[in-house]
Amino acid sequence: MGMTRRELVRAGLLVAGGTAAAGGAVLHGRLRAAPEDPRGPATVRRLPEDPGGVAAASGEDVLVRMQRDLARAMARPAEERRWAMLIDRRRCVGCHACTVGCIAENRLPPGVVYRPVLTAEVGRYPQVGLSFTPRPCMQCEQPPCVPVCPVRATWRRPDGVTVIDYDLCIGCRYCLAACPYGARTSDFGEDYVEAIDGAERVLGGPAVWERQASREYAKAWSRGAGESPVGNARKCHFCLHRLDVGQLPICVSTCIGRATLFGDLADPDALIVERLRTETPETLLAHLGTRPRVFYVG
Amino acid sequence: MNDGKGTAGNTLGDVAPDPRWVRWIVGIVFVATLVPGLIGLWFRVSHGHLSAGYGSYVPWGLWVALYFHGVGIAGGAFVVGGLGHLFDWAGFSDRAVLRATIALSVAALLPALLAIWLDLGRMDRAMEIFLRPNFTSMMAFNAWMYGLFLLLAAVLWVLSFGEDRGWLKPMLCLAMLFALLFPSQSGAFFGVVEAKKFWHSALLPFVFLTSALVAGTAVLYVLHALRARSAAAPSQAAEALGRLRRLLQGLLVAYFGLEFAEFSIYLWNPGPHAPEVNLILSGPYWWVFWVVHLLLSGLLPFVLLALRWRPGWLAAALLAAVGFVSARLNILIPAQTVGELRGLVEAFRHPRLEYSYEATTAEYLVGLLLVAVGLGVFFAARRAEGVVLRLRAAGARAEEKHHVG
Repeated sequence: MGMTRRELVRAGLLVAGGTAAAGGAVLHGRLRAAPEDPRGPATVRRLPEDPGGVAAASGEDVLVRMQRDLARAMARPAEERRWAMLIDRRRCVGCHACTVGCIAENRLPPGVVYRPVLTAEVGRYPQVGLSFTPRPCMQCEQPPCVPVCPVRATWRRPDGVTVIDYDLCIGCRYCLAACPYGARTSDFGEDYVEAIDGAERVLGGPAVWERQASREYAKAWSRGAGESPVGNARKCHFCLHRLDVGQLPICVSTCIGRATLFGDLADPDALIVERLRTETPETLLAHLGTRPRVFYVG
Repeated sequence: MNDGKGTAGNTLGDVAPDPRWVRWIVGIVFVATLVPGLIGLWFRVSHGHLSAGYGSYVPWGLWVALYFHGVGIAGGAFVVGGLGHLFDWAGFSDRAVLRATIALSVAALLPALLAIWLDLGRMDRAMEIFLRPNFTSMMAFNAWMYGLFLLLAAVLWVLSFGEDRGWLKPMLCLAMLFALLFPSQSGAFFGVVEAKKFWHSALLPFVFLTSALVAGTAVLYVLHALRARSAAAPSQAAEALGRLRRLLQGLLVAYFGLEFAEFSIYLWNPGPHAPEVNLILSGPYWWVFWVVHLLLSGLLPFVLLALRWRPGWLAAALLAAVGFVSARLNILIPAQTVGELRGLVEAFRHPRLEYSYEATTAEYLVGLLLVAVGLGVFFAARRAEGVVLRLRAAGARAEEKHHVG
């Protein structure tokens, strides 16, 4: 080999230094704290526990019960909440109201969906039926989408909800590939009026309604002129912006079969905790070890 | 004999211009790829990602495959060329050859980075990956590796012109480490994705590294072969080509051996079936594997390299260099077309929510642009080298005159 002893020593030092730096960078990345989310008193919300004057009573609508649960949970700081969802497949009628409600609430453009409802045929003729599986983001305790983000634009909040910083996401779509549930979709910048030929003229001008801001993450996102979240990854966030003002996630509110329950796992009196205790919940793709916070029964 | 500064025994010719026929061919290829490529770029700029065929369930397409192919060529060529320089292989030890290797690697890497930049949803935020990297992501790790490699390549290029003070080879070793790492990391990039069973394999970094070495060696062979006729030392040029030929043959065997090992796990697996492998072997794009990959970039090059027919060796290298993009495509696309949740596509219909992918015209056109950019970068680097050498020669003459005066 055409290297002097001095060159060999220098090469060894450089290679060793480079390897150590790379190892250190990975270690640093692993040990770094999550982005600073609001914690403590700033996250506490004093919401009325008796929404609309509806009194607690036996046989009351589960929405009323969950509304009270929500008010109790929001009275505690974010780090003491553990948001979760329980979907009772026996009660889901496959109406897709949750999907549509979510699209309207979050102003989702074509090709972006947070909560599709999967349909499966079950049984054998003549005993056949349909089983419906709404699929929001699983809000995994070990989210595979988080560590792959090259710029830390997505992380798990103290209350267990995985969020995306639309102002930071570079749109590499690595998180889309990493999510086994297909829960993330990319906003490719499509609009409905362009997708539906002639609709623009029928509606009488540019699609103003498409530029109405969504309130995701308590900000205003209008998608004007290629602005974020165009080009970003998008996903269900349990309607954090609604929770903040004392409203249940839109998929919960719109569920006509009351199949979707939502609440705080840290609250022993919450309806969701009660149901999880008495039912036998399961999670999707449990073998992957992502530990979803969305549970299914039925 | 090599004097360490590229003045003799040089297969690539330090200041000698490229042969006229080579310049003609390269010029025609450059124009033929640049013009349609610019049209593709216009599509991308004016229509955003709407001009592309990928979606949310198959989020990566042709550009990502080309990106990995480009970085593979860059890493593979640099490792082989660097080894040649370090170990004084005939036809590799000159500084001019090293500079050509550096130029080749950079010319493969820059268009690859252009491909991935165009693939980003927010191109305006690409620099965030350097400003606030998350090193738990293999993507951030890769990006930094490319950045550092480009920096080192520039330093090496500059060092290669001057008096050697014992830093060129140590720096070359470090650059070679990076050149070994980034193609391997490309495999790890996919390997860490547990959601895709086909990707989640510890063998993938080795598969990617080996395919990088195949493609890199093939491109290096083409480079040496095109310029061998004008080489100052034809015997050394022939020896270099012979070595690259044997290396390419061995690497082809190694790659297909690794690929077979990977596939064997699925083919002999008594458990769940492997839809990804079925798609590769007998899906609608079966010909990509059997014809393009196995036949045209594997078996045929191997046979041609085994013959005692030099033009056949060049053809083999060209076939492997271009055809090995199929290796990337076969790993990238099929794994994405198999979803974990049944019924997801039917649950919400949209063209971008499908487990299928077909590259659009715009994507192919941008692919051509990458070729043009690669050629442009390579010849710009060669031109810059000529300018520096002329300036240095003029400086030396002036100094000599001054001393005589």
